Amino acid sequence: MQSITTFFQTLIDGVLIGGVYAVISIGLSLVFGVMHIVNFAHAEFLMLGMFIAWFAWAYAGIDPMLGAFIALIITFFIGMGMQRVLIKPIIGAPQVAQIFLTVGLLFAMENGALLLFGADFRSVSTSYQTQALTLFSGESGRILVPLDKLYAFLMALLSGASLWFFLNRTSWGRAMRATSQDPMAAKLMGINTDKMYMIAFGLGVGTTAFGGAVILPYITASPTVGSQFVVLMFTAVVLGGLGSVAGAVVGGIMVGLIQSFSALILPIQLQNLTLFVIFILVLALKPEGLTARRRS
Amino acid sequence: MKRSKLSTSVAALTRRSVLATGAAALAMPALTGRGFAQEAVNVGVIVPLSGANAQFGINSRNGIQLVADEINANGGIKSMGGAQINLVIADATSNPTQAATVAQRMMSQDNVVAVLGAFASSLTLAISEVTERRGVPLLTMSFSDQITDRGFQNVFQIVSPGSQIGAATFDFTRALAQEAGQTLEKIAIMYEDTAYGTSQSAGLRKAAQDAGIEVVMDEAYPLGITDVSPLINQLRRSDAQVVFPVSYLNDSLLIVRSMRQQGINIPTIGGAAGYIIPDFREGLGDLADNVLSISPAAYDQAPDYTERFREKFGYFMVHEAQEHAACMGCLHSALEAAGSADHAAIREQLQNSVFDQGWATVMSGGKVEFDEMGRNIHASPLMVQWRGGELVTVYPKEYATGEVVWNS
Repeated sequence: MQSITTFFQTLIDGVLIGGVYAVISIGLSLVFGVMHIVNFAHAEFLMLGMFIAWFAWAYAGIDPMLGAFIALIITFFIGMGMQRVLIKPIIGAPQVAQIFLTVGLLFAMENGALLLFGADFRSVSTSYQTQALTLFSGESGRILVPLDKLYAFLMALLSGASLWFFLNRTSWGRAMRATSQDPMAAKLMGINTDKMYMIAFGLGVGTTAFGGAVILPYITASPTVGSQFVVLMFTAVVLGGLGSVAGAVVGGIMVGLIQSFSALILPIQLQNLTLFVIFILVLALKPEGLTARRRS
Repeated sequence: MKRSKLSTSVAALTRRSVLATGAAALAMPALTGRGFAQEAVNVGVIVPLSGANAQFGINSRNGIQLVADEINANGGIKSMGGAQINLVIADATSNPTQAATVAQRMMSQDNVVAVLGAFASSLTLAISEVTERRGVPLLTMSFSDQITDRGFQNVFQIVSPGSQIGAATFDFTRALAQEAGQTLEKIAIMYEDTAYGTSQSAGLRKAAQDAGIEVVMDEAYPLGITDVSPLINQLRRSDAQVVFPVSYLNDSLLIVRSMRQQGINIPTIGGAAGYIIPDFREGLGDLADNVLSISPAAYDQAPDYTERFREKFGYFMVHEAQEHAACMGCLHSALEAAGSADHAAIREQLQNSVFDQGWATVMSGGKVEFDEMGRNIHASPLMVQWRGGELVTVYPKEYATGEVVWNS
């Protein structure tokens, strides 16, 4: 009944959107992995990234794909500052305190954005927004690759790969991993763990802001846009295994694929239901996430 | 309130003191000046000022504010001694529970004569439960049939109910297609699964079925959808001749853009809301041109009034602002006729008057009149089309201000 072209189209759509979910989730996972803090306000940085990219586009004519780098840099420094002032005091504090702080931050940022930017929906218009590559065209239909999603996916890939390189191939990355594994030992080895925490938080929110900026061509920015993504983000991260960058990538792409294929078979309304049913099954059967190795 | 207290105490007094009081009362406005003599009339405005529907709420508030300012500048409510209108504005957020709480607080603390709001049908439904219990008139421009289906005594819907708007969307489209020499056989409907989307698509579906036309795609999707490609893929496969998307702004931008991306250029007939606001054009640029939409009111029908909005706020008078302004216009006339802040008296006037003065005339037909269900019997939806950043009414013919562009 469903042709092979439909299958491939669904697969492509799922991977493209999933790649973006992956990038916005990597940041969340990084923050948790290094600092062991669940940052509920994380999706607000996605919103912030979108607004930065939108302003760059509206006032300087910068394409969101390049604006994403501006968003990354600005939110990196905002993140570092925020870590210093707000997050640092709650590292190692009871979880309730951490939840209160980050949830409070979520509301403060959302309403702050409403105050600052107004409730308008802001959208960019670029040339590639309405273009698509035709991969295949035949009797059974066509397979299209929408350019805006392809670009967003490639940018996501780029940022994911850079982050991986940073963590695994640089001395700073090694220091960060050491801090994550054992802060005390890291400190004894001469690593400035406070600095590592700041950089990790800055990078975490920066990556998510970057992901927000690259999806601007197909998602409208508004102060409440974070709430559309926050649950998907947490699902992706937990699905893949909290605290692991590779896990966030696997989780993100899985979320995209599940949504996409669910819409093919079931009414589109049920796409998140399908997602959460699978999510619950994964939690029940493999609670440490799909990519995590069982600890001895 | 003040007035009734005065009359009961008067009854108990002697003739001499009655005369004295009367003289004092007559002298009072001259002594104290306007605005102080009469307590201001509180009118409740509950609209979403934050959350996903904030922009629509702000537009609505602007429309009401414009009319209230005009009334106050022209000497307030004359039958109430020039009482000024005082708008009590509250944020309904985009959450029905919150909207009901806000309404409750407004009833108990602010002593409002009536409530206007709340743009989104789901919010209006929640508020109407509260106003009905308290017997406070509620004037609304929300479409959902449910609002006036429940036999409530105190709710007045100034626009056609959603099912009628849905049916008109289909009927008008078929007429336009026919004029262009196209016979409709297959249509696609996609709608967000809110009160508004569901009721409007129901009307659309029924009209299509009655006309014996095949609905080749009929898909609901959740509010706040982040990826519409499954919808558009399905549309592409469905072979429909026209598509009817019923959605607010974000989804409407996504839908039109994804359609163009996939090379789908069939006539697109939006379901009001997101399709007829300046942001739609801003978000889509030239892609917006020739997109059609149903609209419960259109600013090109009463430019004398609606241009005042553009002058003050810098953008064309969007339909929710226009309809809310009309609600305020009706309430103004009702207050003038009732001459008191009593809820029952105002309700009586709203129920039994023909409103053909002032801002009430911006609705189609130039007047407003409510039947027993609280529905405006003169309301007629209009078909509008984007043309270079402006909306032009193209159907029905008696209201049209321009010719339709139909690219089949």
